[in-house]
Amino acid sequence: MELLAYGSFFLCFASIFAVMALGLNLQWGFAGLFNVGVAGFVAIGAYASALLTTSLGWPVALGWIGAMAAAGIAAFIVGLAALRLREDYLAITTFGIAVVIQLVALNAQALTGGPFGIQSIPKPLSAWLGAGLAWNLAYLALVLGVVGLAWWGLERLVAGPWGRVLRAIREDEAAAASLGKPARRYRLQAFVLGCMLMGLGGALYAHFVGYIAPEDFLPVLTFQVWAMLIVGGSGRNLGAVAGAVLVWGIWTVSGGLLRDLLPQAEQARGAALQVVLIGVLIAAILVARPRGLFGERATVSRHAAEDAT
Amino acid sequence: MLQLLADGLVVGSVIALGAVGLTLTYSILRFANFGQGEFLTWGAYLAVTALGFVVAVTGGGVMQPIGPFSFGWELLVAMVIAAALTAGLALLVDWLLFQRLRARGAAITLVIASFGAALALRNLLQFLYGTLPEYYTREIQIAIRLVPRDVLGGLRITPDQLLVIGMTGAVVLGLHLLLTRTTLGRAMRATAMNPALARVAGVDVAAVIRATWIIGAALAAVAGVFAGLVGQIRPGLGFELLLPLFAAAILGGIGSVWGAVLGGFIVGLAESFSVPIFGAEYRAATAFLVLIAILLLRPNGLFGEKP
Amino acid sequence: MTPALELSSIEGGYEPGLPILRGASLAVAPGEIVALLGPNGAGKSTLVKAAAGLVPIWSGQVFLNGRDITRTPAHRMVQEGLGFVPQTENIFANLSVLENLQLAAALVPKDRRGELSKMFALFPDLERLRKLPAGRLSGGQRQMLAVARALVASPSVLMLDEPSAGLSPKLIGVVFERLQAVREAGVTILLVEQNVKAALAIADRAAVLVEGRERLVGAAADLAQDPRLAGLYLGAGLEAA
Repeated sequence: MELLAYGSFFLCFASIFAVMALGLNLQWGFAGLFNVGVAGFVAIGAYASALLTTSLGWPVALGWIGAMAAAGIAAFIVGLAALRLREDYLAITTFGIAVVIQLVALNAQALTGGPFGIQSIPKPLSAWLGAGLAWNLAYLALVLGVVGLAWWGLERLVAGPWGRVLRAIREDEAAAASLGKPARRYRLQAFVLGCMLMGLGGALYAHFVGYIAPEDFLPVLTFQVWAMLIVGGSGRNLGAVAGAVLVWGIWTVSGGLLRDLLPQAEQARGAALQVVLIGVLIAAILVARPRGLFGERATVSRHAAEDAT
Repeated sequence: MLQLLADGLVVGSVIALGAVGLTLTYSILRFANFGQGEFLTWGAYLAVTALGFVVAVTGGGVMQPIGPFSFGWELLVAMVIAAALTAGLALLVDWLLFQRLRARGAAITLVIASFGAALALRNLLQFLYGTLPEYYTREIQIAIRLVPRDVLGGLRITPDQLLVIGMTGAVVLGLHLLLTRTTLGRAMRATAMNPALARVAGVDVAAVIRATWIIGAALAAVAGVFAGLVGQIRPGLGFELLLPLFAAAILGGIGSVWGAVLGGFIVGLAESFSVPIFGAEYRAATAFLVLIAILLLRPNGLFGEKP
Repeated sequence: MTPALELSSIEGGYEPGLPILRGASLAVAPGEIVALLGPNGAGKSTLVKAAAGLVPIWSGQVFLNGRDITRTPAHRMVQEGLGFVPQTENIFANLSVLENLQLAAALVPKDRRGELSKMFALFPDLERLRKLPAGRLSGGQRQMLAVARALVASPSVLMLDEPSAGLSPKLIGVVFERLQAVREAGVTILLVEQNVKAALAIADRAAVLVEGRERLVGAAADLAQDPRLAGLYLGAGLEAA
């Protein structure tokens, strides 16, 4: 029974991460866009849904839609400024937006509750199911449904003409542009859609945990989602989802081990060590197995030949 | 008004030094290194350790301040040691990580790798040193009043702050001479322009890359020590400066040393003057606004060449 | 006599499995000017780039004055006496004209270091423009600087990739006349050219490369008359022509 409770708890988190990783996979895996502000877009979604459902009393479903809309609008603005430039400028700009969102979350007390965050975020259906195992399982089913829906939608998108153009742009922007495909518009669409998924992930998180605070959306979150995509393998949705489960597993187990092994006073240092371990993992996989465990196969990618000159 | 100007110049000095290192690695290694901020932090902390060592070895265990400054010659020695160690750290990370990815020719993968390396480096530092702020010295410095209060609000500045501004100028001048007067400097500029041509012209590009890491990391370490001298030494020191560094380097135009310096001072001043408008808590967002403005208006920067 | 430059059965290309060079061989005797001709995509540029160490060589060997330099890194070849002038982007646009030359001179051992005054004597325009950023030079001036940059390292063999590309007929004449002077100074020259007529006029011998292999080698004067030359350019095989 306890195992079931723990299992559902674990899987719920892993599935929420999977939604974010699917969004990142659309951006990086299919469009070659480098987003270093994942945590920022997740935060936007989490705060948007939390605020809409608490302050305005909207139903949770509308809160989720609001989360996606808010993250999408932010992504649209960032993308408009950064996507017409060289690809690493997007990385720097998204990094910047995450920093700014963190600042707003921390300091705009009236809106975000400042460092204390937002409490009592409604848990959908908890009026009927209570707060115990039954609710956990029901929420897990809901999140799994979202993952399934996102996966299905992405597969259809990517297999269709839109996805083909996107990949063509990733491989060779000049050639795609000469065929009359406005590369920038396609990339902007992919970027916005990916960020909407991250925002949705943030909303799913907020309504699962019930409270959010700025410290939930630190750069380490961006890094975790990246680790998931890289370990799982970018370019395939299976990679994103499998990576989410696997990396979240490694994260919880290593966290638990360090908690057990280290004395109370050393816990903070233990947490630091945990991030170092994941950092080393990401670097090792990049070097040793750049396609991850389930990455896109047999791409004659420009990522391989680029800068060879 | 004047006080804000002075504060901006002090912060701008730190940003300028870090951004010069960033713009060098950016243009020669051809990727946006998210680890540059961590080299600042490591430099600052390594100087703490080196300072303790130097002070202990040279007897007494006490640092006697020189003249009006809050620190003694030991800190300058410690800074040099820290710069050397930080350069070594950069070479180690390059050897372990970036070099292997470069060999595969995946430029954007280097950016992710640097992001991962930055997080690992920051947390490793936190693991080793803890999160409590450190200081090079506990000496209280009396600020000199350069301008009386009735002229534009007056201006007070500490000798340390003046020294930081002055030494930044000296270091940048030295770098400028290196880049324009020496074979290594010309080889670095040539490699930034066209690595393949540099090779057939006889440039050992691998050696240039090593030199670039050494110079970039050493500049970062010096910037970190300066930041620690005029403020606190915390594990987040470099991370919080990363956005200003990028804003300054892009503002100046990637690859332009004087551009990065000017960009550093502009970002520093913008941060300083934003405080009375938006409040100190949003100070860090200023660099982002500068960045967005430059990307929209002049993406090649003030002195950048057309990509 | 040992050839100044010998390429022996070179196979190579940018990506594994996609060979561009398919066993190309060529020997250039000391003091010769050899023109490397061939249709677009034959692999002419790739062959000289491979010899210069910029394109991976999978099999075969490169000898410079009898020494095997196949695995020598590109930057070391300059010090060994092999000079290369790429077709485009062959100067450092962000360095001044003088700095371009100073850098190239400083990168070779002292006994190879050419005097800048000699370069300025050969290319008087460059002296006048020496303070200018090289990026502001005209097409012809750039080509002069690129050649001077390679010469200041005192190469025994100089390879040039289409030095006439993008130049007016008058400038092509000037460039080729300077190449004659360079050869008279004792430098062996391998010249990749699209401009067959101009190249055969200056060269002693020529080789025609087709699909990554040399197909026709001979004295320049003979090749100029050879009807098979046009056939190779038109894509017909040697037999058909």
